[in-house]
Amino acid sequence: MKKETRQPLVIDCHALVGAGRTWADPEREVDYDLNLLLERGAEAGIDRHCVMPPRNHTYTEANRQVARICEKHAGKLIGLAAHSPQREAGRLRQMLVEEVRSMGLRGVRSDGHPTRELLDAALELGIPVLYYPKPDRGQPLGRYYHMPATAYPKVNCILPHLGQFRSLSWPAHMEALDLARRYSNVYVDTSGVGSFKYLEMAARELPPERILFGTCAPELDPRVEKHALELLKLPPDRYAKVAGLNILRLLGV
Amino acid sequence: MKSAEAYSRRELLIGAGLAAAATAGRAEQAHRISVIDCHTHAGTGTTLTDPWTTIADPQEILRRNKEAGIDKACIFPISHDTFEEANREIAQIVKRYPGRFIGFAKHDPVNERGRIRAMLLDECRELGLRGLKLHVKPTPEVLDTVAELGIPVLWHPGRVAMFDDIAKAYPTVDLILAHLGSDLSSDWREHLAGIEMARRYPNVYLDTGATVLTRYLEQALQEVGPEKIIFGSDEPEVDCRLEIFKIRVLKLPKQQEEMILGGNIQRLLGKYKGGAS
Repeated sequence: MKKETRQPLVIDCHALVGAGRTWADPEREVDYDLNLLLERGAEAGIDRHCVMPPRNHTYTEANRQVARICEKHAGKLIGLAAHSPQREAGRLRQMLVEEVRSMGLRGVRSDGHPTRELLDAALELGIPVLYYPKPDRGQPLGRYYHMPATAYPKVNCILPHLGQFRSLSWPAHMEALDLARRYSNVYVDTSGVGSFKYLEMAARELPPERILFGTCAPELDPRVEKHALELLKLPPDRYAKVAGLNILRLLGV
Repeated sequence: MKSAEAYSRRELLIGAGLAAAATAGRAEQAHRISVIDCHTHAGTGTTLTDPWTTIADPQEILRRNKEAGIDKACIFPISHDTFEEANREIAQIVKRYPGRFIGFAKHDPVNERGRIRAMLLDECRELGLRGLKLHVKPTPEVLDTVAELGIPVLWHPGRVAMFDDIAKAYPTVDLILAHLGSDLSSDWREHLAGIEMARRYPNVYLDTGATVLTRYLEQALQEVGPEKIIFGSDEPEVDCRLEIFKIRVLKLPKQQEEMILGGNIQRLLGKYKGGAS
């Protein structure tokens, strides 16, 4: 008799749709190619992508666009909002409540340092906050994470790129590992890590519950990012958590 | 044992087929282009401030090379102020692992000025090194020596624009632009500048190593063609298994993939005319 084997779900916690400017370079305008994301994601064996808008000045329209795209591709995409706690101050709760409860978005990317207003709303709605600080010269990554993680222990924070997009600064990866070890509400995602050895370090040193598979696609190639996940050679139970179960738990999906 | 008459026609045909396949397999093996990583650091550093001033362990590199299907890697020292000793270490590593590494020298044209010709001639002729890795802009002293030896220069410049007058002034020197112009894609504009440089000068090639924004690899392929692109990884800081996947995932025709993964660098290495002791 043929033994039935279930493949673990692969959920990309970090992808992009819509128009704006890239998160890495505010001078570069983009309008992300959804078909490229879906085609290459499917080729990589990714079941679903969590998608968020690229950088915008304010996010009401960008988040609506994300929600529309996710509705059209239900089953393939899960929508995340984005907001600027500084530029949209005073309106964040109202906007997030509508985006989560009426439009079906499941998390929020913080464009700028998260404030109490943003974190209170995230706590109330039970959604994770994805926050990638762009440290000033000489400021360690922890400077941006210790306070929110301490003050809001029940808000789950996702630190993308293992703390450093493209691995431009290796100490930031080490700090990200320390943050994830110290705070039970800090998670790291695997997207856009240029120096793979730090992902191997994360896989060795962190509990598997704290690592989330991400691609940053279509800015990056999801096939390459997925190959990095495979190269970690995780045992099946750990792989299942990193590949998808962890983010599904955080999103309450 | 069966007599010749006892073999059926079918058995004979199968036997002949297997023999032909084995011959073809051997021929294919003989003609297979070696997969060569043009950009790998090796050896020990002294200042211990960053991974690239501490150690690049050749055994670790070989383990990953084997897994990635890389036959050989061009190796050169990690960061130092001067490189005479580090280049000797590279030659020793090449000797220690026969057939697995191709040694390149590294030099600082400013810190080592006046001594580079003598050192480089010795490193190629006596130590068997076959290329030069640079970070600092090459001086005429460096370029004249490189032209005399017929070795390629893998250069990671501060800005891609620095290639312009060098490529123009030394058209017979093969210049490989490291990281497609931008290490870890830290500035995408430099990738575009690199592609333009390879299009403008026949002697400029693009190394693929540590290109995070892989759409620029695809753009380079479209705009300058596979004959100007050379596979590299930047091991051990960047993993060769992922870097080679970035090429393989493009699903190029076999001949094009072979050019990138080994044929092009092999051609450049074949221009060596420096002689040996």
